[in-house]
Amino acid sequence: MRIEDVELGDELPEERPDVSLETVRRFVKAAEMDFPRFTDHEAARAEGLPGAVIPGIMSQGQLAAMIHRWAPGCSILSLDTIFRTSMIVGTPVVCRGAVTDIDDDGIVEIDVTIISETSGATGVLGTARVRLT
Amino acid sequence: MANVDIATIRDEWVGRVFQELDLVVDRERMLDWAISCGETDPRFVDPDHPDFQASTAFPTHINVARMLPDDFPQIGTGGIDGGKSIEWQRPMRAGDRLHAEVQIADIYAKTGRSGTMVFIVNRMTFTDADGAPVATVDWRMIRQG
Amino acid sequence: MILDLHTHSVRSDDGRAKVANYCQWIKKKDLPLDGVVLTEHRQFDAESDYRELEDQYGLLILKASEVETDYGHVLVFGVNEDMVHAFDFARIDNPLPEVLAAAKSCGGFAVPCHPGRRNVGLFSHYEERGPVDDVEVVEIYNGGSIPGEDERSRQEADRYGYRGIGGSDSHIVSRIGLCATEFADDIATMDDLVSALRTGRCEARTWRT
Repeated sequence: MRIEDVELGDELPEERPDVSLETVRRFVKAAEMDFPRFTDHEAARAEGLPGAVIPGIMSQGQLAAMIHRWAPGCSILSLDTIFRTSMIVGTPVVCRGAVTDIDDDGIVEIDVTIISETSGATGVLGTARVRLT
Repeated sequence: MANVDIATIRDEWVGRVFQELDLVVDRERMLDWAISCGETDPRFVDPDHPDFQASTAFPTHINVARMLPDDFPQIGTGGIDGGKSIEWQRPMRAGDRLHAEVQIADIYAKTGRSGTMVFIVNRMTFTDADGAPVATVDWRMIRQG
Repeated sequence: MILDLHTHSVRSDDGRAKVANYCQWIKKKDLPLDGVVLTEHRQFDAESDYRELEDQYGLLILKASEVETDYGHVLVFGVNEDMVHAFDFARIDNPLPEVLAAAKSCGGFAVPCHPGRRNVGLFSHYEERGPVDDVEVVEIYNGGSIPGEDERSRQEADRYGYRGIGGSDSHIVSRIGLCATEFADDIATMDDLVSALRTGRCEARTWRT
């Protein structure tokens, strides 16, 4: 993806990341945060959560992966995410992005969101600054 | 959690570095992180790639091990993750020896669907062996009232 | 004339949108908005001057505030020097009757927003504490609502006879204009807006799917 190929308002291809228990377990081990609230629905409910929750930083990583697929070779200079509501492990989510600004020096700004496909709630929203090739 | 208390705590604590640590960036952990987040770009999932590097959000987890200074006042309960931001200065690579400083960048109160919340912004700044900046992570930790 | 009455910029703690980017997005996407009102959290932004952007994009950009009360969040329009001294915008537990009274006595107008929302919505407090006098208008369409919240807002607004407005509550650029308010008359200033809210010559609109 080159800067001249991008237009304000362009939408990134939607993605439905793997949020299965198996993948979340692999993630929490890599992140050294292997707590039952992320990997055990019963234990999470005992903590007052609606079920095992997807770690916010895993969602952030999934958004980064979406951007990297959209613009191979790009560099994400910053990624700022707000975790609004819990996303439940095993419940499908959709990642979205839209180009909201294009700088003269080859940097684009992108809005990113993760939305629960069952409740319609926005779990994560934020922005990224990305240098294109 | 009266506002006046939050203001006082903010004045006292914001800007104070309360922890430093040294770390070596682990190749396997980088790889597992990237794969489980769904990365497919070989720069993040192929350790033999000449530009192999940590995926964007990788340094955010390093905050998880440390929360607040030992003598920080008790504000609310719990420790929900309200958000993370990362700003990169250069890629983080396997085997990099990094130094990190942690400070409280902001404290403020607000209300939301889950009630009264105090946000404590915990900032971790990573530098390399030469002291050059690598990345900065802000963690917005929520304590509930 | 259609205005998005509830938006946040980078001046809010959780806002990530630059006002200039809102403007270029509205034009690029050909949204049916004639302007926006910036309602930063727990503050009034007296400093920012958006006249250049207004001219560049042909949009009206007004400034208000979203404050926090013991009955949930409230948009206050027509903020002036008197109002910012009448109550503490930074507090998260302002008594709602005081905010309503201060807004009125200072020539402004207060509108509880996302009233169907748990904890920070007016109606969630009515259950236990009963209705508050002097509420006239509530936000019945909010772009940040989760399913069920706006439905409750509309039902309860009907029940109490409140008029409704709409706002996107956007915190990022691409959420601007999801909900808005259509005015029967032209709005050129904050005074015009306050008058229109008082007289009720406006209607909430939503484009959420």
